[in-house]
Amino acid sequence: MRKGNKIVAAALLLALTVFALWGCGSPGGSQQGERTDGALVVTDMKGREIVLDAPASRVVALTASDCEIIYALGAGDCLVGRGEYCNYPEEALQVTEVSSGTETNLEQILALQPEVVVMNAMDQSEEQVEALEKAGIQVVINAASTIEETYRSMEIIGALVGREEEASAMIDSMKQAFAEVAEHREDGEERTVYFEVSPLEWGLWAAGDNTFMNEVAEMMGLTNIFKDVDGWAAVSEEQVLQRNPDYIVTVAMYFGEGVTPVEEIMSRPGWEELTAVKNGKLLNLQNDELSRPGPRLAEGAKLLYEMVYGEE
Amino acid sequence: MKPRTEKFRICEYAILTAVTATVFLLCTCMGSVSIALSDTVRVIGLQLRGAAIPEALQSTVNILWTVRIPRVICVALSGAALSLCGGAMQGLLKNPLADGSTLGVSSGASLGAVIAIAFGIQIPGFAMGGTMILSVGFAFLSLLLILSAAYKLDASLSTSTVVLIGVIYSMFTSSLINLVITFAGDKVRNITFWTMGSLQGSTYANAAFLAGALVVFGLPVLTRAGELNAFSVGEDNARNVGVNVKSVKMVVLVCVSALIGVCVSIGGTIGFVGLVTPHMTRFLTGPNHRKLLPASMFFGACFLMAADLVARTMLRPLDLPIGVVTSFVGSLTFLAIFYSSRRERAS
Repeated sequence: MRKGNKIVAAALLLALTVFALWGCGSPGGSQQGERTDGALVVTDMKGREIVLDAPASRVVALTASDCEIIYALGAGDCLVGRGEYCNYPEEALQVTEVSSGTETNLEQILALQPEVVVMNAMDQSEEQVEALEKAGIQVVINAASTIEETYRSMEIIGALVGREEEASAMIDSMKQAFAEVAEHREDGEERTVYFEVSPLEWGLWAAGDNTFMNEVAEMMGLTNIFKDVDGWAAVSEEQVLQRNPDYIVTVAMYFGEGVTPVEEIMSRPGWEELTAVKNGKLLNLQNDELSRPGPRLAEGAKLLYEMVYGEE
Repeated sequence: MKPRTEKFRICEYAILTAVTATVFLLCTCMGSVSIALSDTVRVIGLQLRGAAIPEALQSTVNILWTVRIPRVICVALSGAALSLCGGAMQGLLKNPLADGSTLGVSSGASLGAVIAIAFGIQIPGFAMGGTMILSVGFAFLSLLLILSAAYKLDASLSTSTVVLIGVIYSMFTSSLINLVITFAGDKVRNITFWTMGSLQGSTYANAAFLAGALVVFGLPVLTRAGELNAFSVGEDNARNVGVNVKSVKMVVLVCVSALIGVCVSIGGTIGFVGLVTPHMTRFLTGPNHRKLLPASMFFGACFLMAADLVARTMLRPLDLPIGVVTSFVGSLTFLAIFYSSRRERAS
């Protein structure tokens, strides 16, 4: 049975190797920003390693959430460019604007001479990333789609700009806030919520499963009426009436003229019979609190919590 | 065989009405939310008699009476109006590819609507007034612009010239629309969805407005069916048989752009209906506009109601933009018609 032993040994060896390699491959979220030989090593969401001599002082952030995180960490000074949709906080509007998403413009970015560009993985092509790297600019890919991943992106950015402590404090305070809103979850009563992303006038869009809104809702024991839909999707008005939500959250913008988004929803024909409208349980989140993987997710969660459990 | 009469007889109108009514009922009974046929009938009966609604039926009434029926009515009226426009323009320009969408009139109308929305142009006391007036105005200006540009190049207004200019104009206006959206920023972020056509949120007020527009602007076109017959042989022919070419042209163009403008301001751009239905109708009625135009209206209503039914029910609980369905079905049907008519002519 020598041959058999050999096979077993080989299999064991193989398994061990695979296990060891697997262990190496898993990026350690907690080891961000560790210095080896005086260099700063950051592993981004795609598992790419970024090596810097010192914390970055010239950063371009293309995504609104990354821009928010940089400001929340108190590192707004190092931002030399921001994507066009970065509109929070207000100071960010003073920073040079660059095109983002599918319109990402390399020339604009190169002209700002950043050390690091933080971007989302969705819209930029591999070629664009390579071109930036060839020009000596480090590219950090940050694409959080859950709250857990949001924490990681905060750690990554914290390490990049040399604010690891602030980042972990921010994460702790978010965890604390979420823990507070999660307290109410077990009271046996089913409460349903409808997240409206685009108003009826332009065709209804709702936030379904795999969205931050859904995650926050579940955290506090709410059921999203469009849990059977993935991401943001155009839904039927009839379905909203049929599913009769207890709470409605709209992210429509209000421009200070005409009816507010909440009034508009309450005045829709046929909607007056919805439980949410009857009880006046509507919330307008105007500033993307629950749409971006940033520090304000906790604020959005608190606002939603106050509407749902506030007066009890 | 009986000789074909010039106009439809009453019984033929009755058949068309019955077909449309059947499609209407079908589209009322089916939807994103399933409602039992018995409940549907009961709700409609109660509402028509003005009787009190039992508590248990309240949500059904909301879904059916407040949301679904006005939408189906708006869809039917838009389909009728757009098909009438397509049929009339195909005759007037002697051009089988003429339609609001191929000529660029629809995109001109959406440009007007987008401008009104982006810059908040409103008329006090009339909720959709600004959007409507701007889209009607832009539709008319676009039509004038396209046709005069085409005349300059080619006085016979041949198919290829008009369609080419229409396509170029559509591209031009869509770039302008994108420009407006960029400048207006967040406020019109969602307009992109709407430009694909959305009849969600239609109300009885919208339906009444569409019906009014169809009477005011549709009748002048319908009553000029005889003149359109002369036009479809050729403009010179029309002049020779004593048609006041200029006035007929003006009336038809004004009415067509007004109808397209109203439809666009209520439901966004819905492509292909005006192009395809008159062709399909021609198979049944022949080219005489006295029959073609009214029949196109009925079939246009049926076609768009059916397309909307698919849009509403195919991906429950999602709601597809109706333009996706009409363009998909429309372009395939159109190709089929195009090839079969070519083959017939060849053999």
